Amino acid sequence: MHPVDGRLSSPQVGPPSTAQLQAAVQWYLTLNDADVSPEQHLAWQDWLGADPEHVKAWARIEKLQQQLCGVPRDVALPILSQMGVQRRQGLKMLLVLAAGATVLAGYRISPYHTDFATRTGERRQVTLPDGSRLELNTDTRVDIAYNAQERLILLRRGEILVTTATDRLPARPLSVETPQGRIRALGTRFDVRLLPGLSSVHVQQHAVEVRPRDTPQHIQRVDEGQALTFGSSQLGNLRPATADSSAWTQGLLVAIDWRLGDFVGELARYRVGYLGCADEVRDLRISGAFRLDDIDGILANLQVSLPVKVRHFSRYWARIEA
Amino acid sequence: MDVGIKPSTPMDIEHLYGKHHGWLKGWLCNRVGNSADAADLAQDTFMRMLTLRQLPVLREPRHYLVTIARGLMIDKARRQTLERAYLEVLAARPEPLEVSPETYHLIIESLLAIDALLDGLGARTRQIFLLVQLEGLSYVQVGRQLGLSVTTIKNHLGKAMMQCIRLMDD
Repeated sequence: MHPVDGRLSSPQVGPPSTAQLQAAVQWYLTLNDADVSPEQHLAWQDWLGADPEHVKAWARIEKLQQQLCGVPRDVALPILSQMGVQRRQGLKMLLVLAAGATVLAGYRISPYHTDFATRTGERRQVTLPDGSRLELNTDTRVDIAYNAQERLILLRRGEILVTTATDRLPARPLSVETPQGRIRALGTRFDVRLLPGLSSVHVQQHAVEVRPRDTPQHIQRVDEGQALTFGSSQLGNLRPATADSSAWTQGLLVAIDWRLGDFVGELARYRVGYLGCADEVRDLRISGAFRLDDIDGILANLQVSLPVKVRHFSRYWARIEA
Repeated sequence: MDVGIKPSTPMDIEHLYGKHHGWLKGWLCNRVGNSADAADLAQDTFMRMLTLRQLPVLREPRHYLVTIARGLMIDKARRQTLERAYLEVLAARPEPLEVSPETYHLIIESLLAIDALLDGLGARTRQIFLLVQLEGLSYVQVGRQLGLSVTTIKNHLGKAMMQCIRLMDD
């Protein structure tokens, strides 16, 4: 039996009717109004509860909201406005662009011309031609440029742990180059990480020498157990290296009395998508050792140990809130 | 041209592929201007046909192939336009935004999906939708910004919302 009469309320398959969708949109317009009253909220709940078809129609409104949450707002707004303008210039224009756009292909953000790379959440070990070992942390790109004079490792993004091997004689120097300068190994094990506009090095064995790109005459030696952050023309102060700086090689994140905001920022490096932290909970404190292969598990546990809620707008978009 | 449908089999596609693939590649090459993209698009066209549950019985298979290929060309052009817009927006930011290739891909996919939902809406309607939904402005704020009444803002927003949720799957 197929319901042919609209009054039959037997469970209906198929998409919600136009009328139901229109009602859902009207409710959305009301609820989204800055002046919405508690009575209107209750009326909406009544409407929602009155018919499973209403729930189905409303689910689409929610799905749309989730989809809109899946893009960074400050980027999405200009792009989507611009796309609207380009659309009006018509199909012909787009096809012309299709012909011209091949020029752009090389300009795309591409990890594919990198010698070694990891995806977000991935770690990888690599042995180099001279026997030196590299460990790549999450979302990292490295190029190797060895020649007769030197062994050069170019860190393009992310973080690496370098363990140098003794080179054949005569030994060639081994350096890591970052956008901010060069770190020369003095027979050693050290961790290099790129930060926005800065590089940071933690030395675990022996020592390294750091030369900022624009002031290479300012050489700074960093010894075992020390750390240094530097920019392209200035050196930071030497500080003790934290014991946990290479915990990532064991798949762990070790936090000792960290601000929650910093902790979430660190977790976000290992998780695909957006992970944010609301200002009001940013200064809560957290300590512990956390397994990086289960970020969603860590987030779930946060809700138990701290007065916070994790709000998932979509699979890729989560935010820690009060 | 279509006179009926029957279940598609790999055999049918294979036959079509053998007979028309070279021709389609040539047709595409003339339009996109390079053979690598033409080869990709031709391949995608046949892949698209493989995913159809039923293959129409075709009297003019080339006409049909061109229809699919043209759709794919438009998709590709849209994607490239969007990727370019994305890079331009990033380049204009005061501080660089580091995104991993995965996140980049996800953002582009999400933007394309939203853009497709808004396809065909007037510029004003689109703008109002974006100001409310992405900028988080109130109806009054948007009205003031554009010199329009709250009722007009709500009408435009309602129209955009309606189109979006009509185009969505459950």
